[in-house]
Amino acid sequence: MRALPGKASRQPPGPEPVSRAASAEDQRRRILEATAGLVAEQGYAETTIEQIVRRARVGYATFYKHYEDKQEAFLALMDAAVERTAYVVEEAYDREDGPWADKVGAGLGALLKVAAEHPGVARACLVEAPTAGPEAAARHEAALKRFAPLLQPGRELNPRADKLPESLEETLAGGVLWVINQRLIAGEAEKLRALLPEALEFLLRPYVGEDAAAREAGGAGAASA
Amino acid sequence: MADEETLGPLPAGRHGFSREQVAHNQRERLIAALATAVAEKGYRAVTITDITQQARVSRRVFYENFESKEECFLAAFEVVVGHIRELAAEAALPADDWSHRALAAAAAVLRFFAEEPDLAKLCLVESQAAGPAVAARFHETVGAAAPYLEQGRAERPEGRDLPPTTEDSTLGALVLLASRKVAAGEAEQLEEVLPDFAEFILAPYLGVEAAAGIARSQAA
Repeated sequence: MRALPGKASRQPPGPEPVSRAASAEDQRRRILEATAGLVAEQGYAETTIEQIVRRARVGYATFYKHYEDKQEAFLALMDAAVERTAYVVEEAYDREDGPWADKVGAGLGALLKVAAEHPGVARACLVEAPTAGPEAAARHEAALKRFAPLLQPGRELNPRADKLPESLEETLAGGVLWVINQRLIAGEAEKLRALLPEALEFLLRPYVGEDAAAREAGGAGAASA
Repeated sequence: MADEETLGPLPAGRHGFSREQVAHNQRERLIAALATAVAEKGYRAVTITDITQQARVSRRVFYENFESKEECFLAAFEVVVGHIRELAAEAALPADDWSHRALAAAAAVLRFFAEEPDLAKLCLVESQAAGPAVAARFHETVGAAAPYLEQGRAERPEGRDLPPTTEDSTLGALVLLASRKVAAGEAEQLEEVLPDFAEFILAPYLGVEAAAGIARSQAA
């Protein structure tokens, strides 16, 4: 689960790990992975600290050394996953040196890939986050806003840019996340990556019109196939 | 008690109602009580006691009707959604083409939520916050509107087919627009988003330009 910080560990639980620092990081990673898995499977409200420590194979004392309660662990999970995802998406967007539409395609492809590879984390942070209280909901909202600047340059391509709705970028991101959530709720994470051409067309259409959006989406579909 | 007029208890003793009528009435009172409690405290904080006190029935009666708070919430959600479906269908009826039907239905839904901010919160915000079963039902309910949008495909010139997820993405965008407004405490101003709604709904079928034109006329 590389959506979370910390290197993957193959250490079996039990005997004293090599260094204290590595061990603390590993403990946090195990706790957050366990939290993501449990929240994805059964929802936030049903998840207990007892289940988390059992799945993470740590003691209660270890859990409380790192997090005050379930909510703090969940918020730490969200922060880590959002940071990691935003980094991957922004990097893919920046690395693509073609026109703006290609950059959006690269960023969207990276987003779908991360979600497909870490469906538990994705489901916990996208679908279940609103159930975990106002702070988690606020983080969910903030995450949505991070993608807006990547779409914003599309306005320069639109002759009536000044008439586009102010919240267009966030609304479009919401439309794409909705379809991602549908797949996650249906347990069809393996279908996420195939969404690239249609989700890209949806994102581009308001800026460049259908014909150009469909052409770009066709290209992205062929490239990802 | 202030709420006695609106949701008063049945008089004790002989009241002439059949057992079924009483049971039905109790169920409705519980649903109304849940809606009130959720509007006040949010779904997570609401307890069964809040609901039974508000409805003035015993816990036993609650559990005769519902297995859990979640089940009671789903029942309330269904009641409101059923009502909204009727409003939308009624509003769409007089319109003589697809685009006007779609916009009339959307306007009716927004107007209802603007007039009933507590129910707007229940349907659009709390339903996304009330746990996996409710979230799944919320997704299903929103998805049930997709076939109505899909009728817009007949308006398109011959040629290329729209991608299959077009309607779902559009609905997701609309849900986000509306639920954000409600979450920000601006449910009463929901009708302001109608022009944006119109543009999102119509653009895939009539083209971005034509959709924007109609959306602007909606705003006027």
